[in-house]
Amino acid sequence: MLRIYQRLWQVNWAEQWQYRANLVMYLLFWLVSPVVYLAVWTTIARTQGTVSGLTPNDFVTYYMTLLIIDQFTSEITIHIFAYKITDGTLAGELIRPMHPMLTNTLVNNVAFKTLTLMALLPIWGVLWLLFQPNFSAVTWQGILLAIPAVIIGFAISFLLGAALVCVAFWTTRVWALVEFYSALAALFSGQFVPLQLMPGVVQQVARYLPFQFYKYFPIELVLGGLSPQQIVTGYAMGIFWLVVALFLFLWAWRNGLKQFSAVGA
Amino acid sequence: MQSLRLIRVILKINIQTSLAYRADMVVNILLNLMWVGWELLGLSIIFSNTATLGGWGPAELIALLGVFHMVNAMMAGMLWPGTEKFNASVRDGSLDYTLLLPANSQFLVSFSSITIWRAWDLVLAFILVVVGIRMGGDTTTPLSILSFLALAVSGAVVIYSLWVVLIAFTFWFTKFDNNVTILQALLDSGRYPATIYPSWLRIIVTFIVPIAVATTVPLQALRGDLSGWNVLLFIGIGFASFIVAAQVWKAGVHRYSGASS
Repeated sequence: MLRIYQRLWQVNWAEQWQYRANLVMYLLFWLVSPVVYLAVWTTIARTQGTVSGLTPNDFVTYYMTLLIIDQFTSEITIHIFAYKITDGTLAGELIRPMHPMLTNTLVNNVAFKTLTLMALLPIWGVLWLLFQPNFSAVTWQGILLAIPAVIIGFAISFLLGAALVCVAFWTTRVWALVEFYSALAALFSGQFVPLQLMPGVVQQVARYLPFQFYKYFPIELVLGGLSPQQIVTGYAMGIFWLVVALFLFLWAWRNGLKQFSAVGA
Repeated sequence: MQSLRLIRVILKINIQTSLAYRADMVVNILLNLMWVGWELLGLSIIFSNTATLGGWGPAELIALLGVFHMVNAMMAGMLWPGTEKFNASVRDGSLDYTLLLPANSQFLVSFSSITIWRAWDLVLAFILVVVGIRMGGDTTTPLSILSFLALAVSGAVVIYSLWVVLIAFTFWFTKFDNNVTILQALLDSGRYPATIYPSWLRIIVTFIVPIAVATTVPLQALRGDLSGWNVLLFIGIGFASFIVAAQVWKAGVHRYSGASS
């Protein structure tokens, strides 16, 4: 089993290296929106001193941490898998004695992230010089506490993303659904605004949804913004959603595969 | 006259093709509505925490959102769909067929692929701008509205010209697939006034990839932040960039050798 992953890693790593130029452009996309929102909120915080207790530096550290966490927890399954269901090429992979999603696609995701992370680091350094953040609130304990949260966050987003792609077994196309999902994620993950600035209702709802584990929860763990009780309930909710996402995916995969007609193959 | 007739024919063809995917169109419009709702929610979150954003009020940011949607509709509805086809046509030589037609090639390439449902984005843009101006109340005068409209158009022309130059580079480099990504990537910055950005970002979105010229600048005219000379200057920039783009395009077409023949 380990040998399979090792070989898949070599293949996918080499494959990702082919698209180095694309990668820079992809990162540009990724960077602009957090930097814009960073500018928006630091402007507000600077004119007022604080926004609901958050200082300009809090916003800078929040969005700069978000850039890194986002690299870890995001997934690209829709881009690398949905078309295989649509055009039937998945048939070739189904013959192999391994799970197409949990091996090849997973490793491809990880290879892509590793590469984007490598490309992000120098850019992040430049942003550091430009924004001069003060990360003194970050402790080693905070970072260690955040590592499992980041892994749970990626596991949830990967499994939910994969389950969503499985809908293509029934409907052939899933882009609209995925866009709807990413809009929900954008709203409830804390991507554009730290969740504590959201209206009370949205905050309440966000606490019970899986999206906060993509960004807000790990970010706040790193920055040390959560009380011990919040950390415990957060982790409990994270593990709950991990289990739910796993079963959702397994169910969608098993039943979806029965619908698969291998169009064109 | 001929170009108007051409546009009518192109629109007709595009409407016919997109009517084959009616459900897709409805879903796309609904998703678009959802994103606008999201953007307005974002604004309401911002203004529940502050009265002004760097001196800009809610009415102005709604109008800015409208201008942003106008630029977005132009890019996503007209420019992006044609780009990929154009890049491929330079590589495989099928641009021959466009060049052989008795019409301006830049015109044909620009307007040949139009995503019809994006017209909805224009309607939305119009509504947002009108609502924004109405909410602004007394601060706007007929003159400021007029210069706002003029600058919105000339800003869109600047972006369009940059697009023409970027895709014309394909004539020289042949394989240049990411030619317009930089425009797409920085588009997001148009939702908020460039005046609040840190200076390096402001310089990028004003001078290098002038998204701000098409979004923030018209709004500044509406607020009366720009002097008459400034308004004329930006209109002049619009004209100049269009002329430069047309020249670059011509030079590019001269270089084109037709890969297949």
